[in-house]
Amino acid sequence: MIAAIGLVVGILLGLVLTPDVPQWLEPYLPIAVVAALDAVFGALRAFLDGIFNDKVFVISFVSNVVIAALIVFLGDKLGVGAQLSTGVVVVLGIRIFSNVAAIRRHIFHA
Amino acid sequence: MSSPAEQQQERIRVGLIEYLSRHTLDEDYARIARDRPGRRSSWLATGAMLVTLAVFGVLVFTAASQTTRNASTSARDRATLIDQVNARRATVQQRNEQVRALRRENDRLDTDLLAGQKGSRVFERAQRLSVLTGAGKVKGQGVRVVVDDAPHAASDRNKVLDSDLQKLVNGLWEAGAEAISINGQRLTNLSAIRQAGLAINVNYRPLTAPYTVLAIGNMNTLPSRFAETTHGATWFDLQQQVGLRFDMKTDRALVLPAADQLSLRYATLSKEEHR
Repeated sequence: MIAAIGLVVGILLGLVLTPDVPQWLEPYLPIAVVAALDAVFGALRAFLDGIFNDKVFVISFVSNVVIAALIVFLGDKLGVGAQLSTGVVVVLGIRIFSNVAAIRRHIFHA
Repeated sequence: MSSPAEQQQERIRVGLIEYLSRHTLDEDYARIARDRPGRRSSWLATGAMLVTLAVFGVLVFTAASQTTRNASTSARDRATLIDQVNARRATVQQRNEQVRALRRENDRLDTDLLAGQKGSRVFERAQRLSVLTGAGKVKGQGVRVVVDDAPHAASDRNKVLDSDLQKLVNGLWEAGAEAISINGQRLTNLSAIRQAGLAINVNYRPLTAPYTVLAIGNMNTLPSRFAETTHGATWFDLQQQVGLRFDMKTDRALVLPAADQLSLRYATLSKEEHR
């Protein structure tokens, strides 16, 4: 319940402020969002498993976003930015898929 | 859960993808739940979680709106570019028409000027020169030669090449032709017959087979004299050995068009030699 309120507040904030993303940050935003999605789905699964912990969630969220952005940044500097982002998206995609599958099993018992 | 050594073993055993999909949850959740069960979280941690979720909301919303904005911007850019291209194209077309009109006007003025001085032989001289140089439309008797690739031609060997056309034209000049055109392209002393990819370019215009070569000259002697030249012999060989189509007929009334472009870029008239 509390989590949903946080999410809604965030979206409303984005709607009201419509923050302009600086040019240098623009390539890292999508990958940061995917990493954040991974952390959020992981948290949801942990919550349904009954082992959710705020601190772990905050840390995993921040580290996920930072590391994903850092990998892409490094890739851009090395000239393999596109390939590394693909790699990051594949790995995070696998994690998101199996987390969502676990959540589905919790909700529908199927 | 498992010790790092066991994890290492498992990673080696099952492969990367399989390992990834087995360990999707951060293991710290399980570890903390095991080590400190039933411990209430502090208000600070809850607040941090709320802030994090808010940040997540802002991130998702910003990324989405940014993408939409970028898409609309690039669509607008595209539309602007297309408009520009169309405008420029229209301008080019308009200029081309202007060029054509001016050229017609020029020709008319030229003839008017020369016709006005009919007595002074200038007009006559210009007319004669235009026949020789290819600047004027000419008619007369001559031969009509149609050449084409061999039937079911598969390779360059049994197709008409630029060199074959060059030989044919040179043979006809040698046999006494006074004016020649290929598929409606009048040959001048500046004309080039050149292969460009699949097509043969004459006067920088691509032509396709069959090639109709019109040559004005004495229709009684042209065919026989052509056959006597080396190029005529070469063409006879091509016809026999390779199977190229070659068909020469005499014609009493041929009309050859004027050459399109007769612009000299470097040569100018020398005043002393002018008679």
